[in-house]
Amino acid sequence: MGETVAAYAMPAVMALAGGFMLFGKKDYFHAFTEGATEGLQTAIRLLPTLVALMVAISMLNASGAVTLLSRVLAPVAQRIGIPSDLLPLLITRPFSGSASTAAFSSLLDQVGADSFTGLCASVIFGSSDTVVYVISVYCSSVGIRHTRWSFPCAFAVMLFCVFFSCFLCRLCFF
Amino acid sequence: MYFFEKPLDTILQTKGGKVMLGKVFGVICLISLLFALLNGNAAALGSAVLDGAAKAIEVILSLGGMMCLWCGIMRVLSEAGLIRRLSRLLSPFLRLFFPEASRTGEGLEEISANISANLLGIGNAATPFALRAMEQMQKHNPHPDTASREQITLAVLNTASVTLLPANLLALRRAAGSDRPYAILIPVWITSLLCAAMALLLTSLPRLFEKKITRFPRAHRTGKRGRHG
Repeated sequence: MGETVAAYAMPAVMALAGGFMLFGKKDYFHAFTEGATEGLQTAIRLLPTLVALMVAISMLNASGAVTLLSRVLAPVAQRIGIPSDLLPLLITRPFSGSASTAAFSSLLDQVGADSFTGLCASVIFGSSDTVVYVISVYCSSVGIRHTRWSFPCAFAVMLFCVFFSCFLCRLCFF
Repeated sequence: MYFFEKPLDTILQTKGGKVMLGKVFGVICLISLLFALLNGNAAALGSAVLDGAAKAIEVILSLGGMMCLWCGIMRVLSEAGLIRRLSRLLSPFLRLFFPEASRTGEGLEEISANISANLLGIGNAATPFALRAMEQMQKHNPHPDTASREQITLAVLNTASVTLLPANLLALRRAAGSDRPYAILIPVWITSLLCAAMALLLTSLPRLFEKKITRFPRAHRTGKRGRHG
């Protein structure tokens, strides 16, 4: 049921805009094209940074850094109470949406979607986003190079998210 | 720029390259090379670079399409006055965390649209709205190549995604054969709300510190024995 509501949200907004264009008094289509042109210009400004970002993430994925780091950090994770199976997801989550989605699906297939690890992973996946992508894209779209405390804050929030998710899952489900 | 920010900025900017984005990129490149050498698949890096560049064009194409569509839709809804009503609804929240934008009036509509799109789970629309918000806030940015506090707040807030209906997550759980895919719904609400709160708190800290400083002089002026001391 939930997905159908969410699925209708986007068409609902489109229908709203379409309704205004059909029944509204102003020239709303002209507004649309003006807005769209500005949007396109912003997207073009993004291209160089996006290329750098995608290339870097692609290299990170191909280098096997994720599997190696997961193996190295597994004992540390066990000691602080985070299931070590979560590590691939945790490592890729701030960096790449597609890699973290892939890591998440394979984790669920591996341990089961309703196991403790699977539930923790779901909560983490649902409460976080790709930090590096978001901040880089947002800042470079307006030409900002000095991001100041964005990355440290975002990573701190991500860290909190991980610990709190495991804590909450332990509380709710066991 | 206030006293708290200068040392923080200096710490974050010196040590190697000057620009944070450049540092992130550099770190990722070097780490990838290091791990590839350790794993013995350095050859795969070459094709990864080309794949990455090709993927960037794909992403730009879809992003460009999304930007066009949603910026256009946003312009339509904004001219119809709907977004202004939305931002008036959210104004207590906006005034607290985006005081500069509230003062100048620019970017409030885009920020409201971004928050609403995130809540409704329309991630496609949230990014273009946020980018427009950054642009509007950039107009009043005294240092154009440096992120203003509110731009940082918006960006970090978007990394803590607060969604009422995480459709993507539910679909993935369903696909993995979960018996009760909705079990994590309430934990996700709680966690993402707390993460968003923490994001807002952390990014508003410099402003809180600055307020404290202006409060001290008055307290000291009254002396140890109080007003009549």
